[in-house]
Amino acid sequence: MSGAQPSLVVHGAFWVFALVAVVSGWRVFRTDSMVRATFLLLASFLNVGAILLLLGGAYLGIALLFMMTVEMTVMAVFMVAFMMNPAGLNPMSMVHQPRVAAVAGWAVFAGGAAVAVWGRFPRRPLDPAADVIGALGTELMGRSMLIFETAGVALVATMIGSVVLSSRRSRFGDEAGDIGSLPPMLDSAAGTYPPGVVSEPAGAGHHGSHGDHS
Amino acid sequence: MSGLAVWAAPLLVAVLLAGGVYAAAVIDLATGRSVAGTGLGPSALLQPFRRAALTVVQRPSATERPDVVMWLLAPALYLGLAAAGLALVPLSPTFAIADVQAGIVVWGTIESLVIVAIFLHGWSANSLQPLLAAYRFLAVGVSYLLLSMFVLIAAAIPAESLATGQIVVSQHGLWNVVRQPLGLPLFLIVALGSATWGPLNVADGTDLAGGTTAEVSGMPLLMWRAARLAMLTSFAATVFLGGWQGPWLPGPLWVAVKTLLVLVVLAAAGHRFARVPTERFVTICWVVLLPLSFVDLAVAGVGAL
Repeated sequence: MSGAQPSLVVHGAFWVFALVAVVSGWRVFRTDSMVRATFLLLASFLNVGAILLLLGGAYLGIALLFMMTVEMTVMAVFMVAFMMNPAGLNPMSMVHQPRVAAVAGWAVFAGGAAVAVWGRFPRRPLDPAADVIGALGTELMGRSMLIFETAGVALVATMIGSVVLSSRRSRFGDEAGDIGSLPPMLDSAAGTYPPGVVSEPAGAGHHGSHGDHS
Repeated sequence: MSGLAVWAAPLLVAVLLAGGVYAAAVIDLATGRSVAGTGLGPSALLQPFRRAALTVVQRPSATERPDVVMWLLAPALYLGLAAAGLALVPLSPTFAIADVQAGIVVWGTIESLVIVAIFLHGWSANSLQPLLAAYRFLAVGVSYLLLSMFVLIAAAIPAESLATGQIVVSQHGLWNVVRQPLGLPLFLIVALGSATWGPLNVADGTDLAGGTTAEVSGMPLLMWRAARLAMLTSFAATVFLGGWQGPWLPGPLWVAVKTLLVLVVLAAAGHRFARVPTERFVTICWVVLLPLSFVDLAVAGVGAL
């Protein structure tokens, strides 16, 4: 891919990836399920990542694939968990504020397209033996590499620590063993459950019937 | 480094993968019999073919309004990811099928896409048990994924490279299993999770009537089972243990021997240990194993200074 004109295979691959990226991006808003929308968006991102790989951005392309995959997976869990749509199987509309979104979308597209058509791009053939990944890291972080790397790990540790400290265990942790196994209270101020739900003292054990013991 | 023709690479991966799937199936049967004390016997060599044939002649089952496309694509994606993983393994000092600069980042991508494949396999059946298994697996998968990232970065530090070939070279004289003793056990946990195997078989467990495979039969089931074995093989090969390095034998043979050895360990774990309770494993993963992977990374960092 360095210097010479890209081969016919590369051209063909570009058009396939580009087409799939656009079509799956469009389907995100036409589908009726949270989970499908999430993974269609992932498919779109994966194809953009593949185009980056075609452009010779080895690390950037793979990092995009990697990050988007994890991100979309986590997003699917959270969207389904926080929306009143058990399992993401019930049909629901995937759009809101469509008019604003359409205007913003076309504006961004016009801007990007203008840059692509009228922008002047440097033509600097790459030495195939060049350490692209090392150069990218140095370019991004320079002499602050160690600080960034240390801060990154510290940040992850902090995030996990805060989740551990703030989370309330349900079945194996503390005395309030029924958290998560009960439906929400009818009247949270009065602290009353639907009749018949709490018939035994909390923490007595066999609430949910999840049965994940082998 | 690799001077392989474009058509030869997929062929070689397919051959290696097929051999790996067969070896993994036989090893799994043999360790199972050994654990059960029923005697090994040569029939274990033919058993995988019998089972495969029996599965193929069964009729593919159907559910009410499944997501057909995803249901059919999930096993293909899973198998493809195993193939991609195997392609990254350096087979000799100068040869890996896919010798990419950012090898371990590709491996991380494969691991995360595995979670997507298994989740979609359960989700798309539109049936209760597969759906429960899919969500249960997602909780486990997102938890173990982070372990793997730190273990992989730790392996890259002494090599000063993200390329798998360089990581093998960096283990000359002192294998990572000695230099970073936490790395191997943590990575094997990720392997069991990604192949949804043994103690971490939360996606296809018998407690959920087969989990994501509860509604699958016939050819798609065979594909899925083969993909799981392929993923197990791919992980076993990626453990490296010094890769192609070793006395007397040629490089690729050492890789094969080490892969089979790791397969025996993984298969034995599958028969020896009970399935983990999902919730408890997730807690252990974040509270115990993840800090251990930090320690692994710190040890690697200090060692490199």
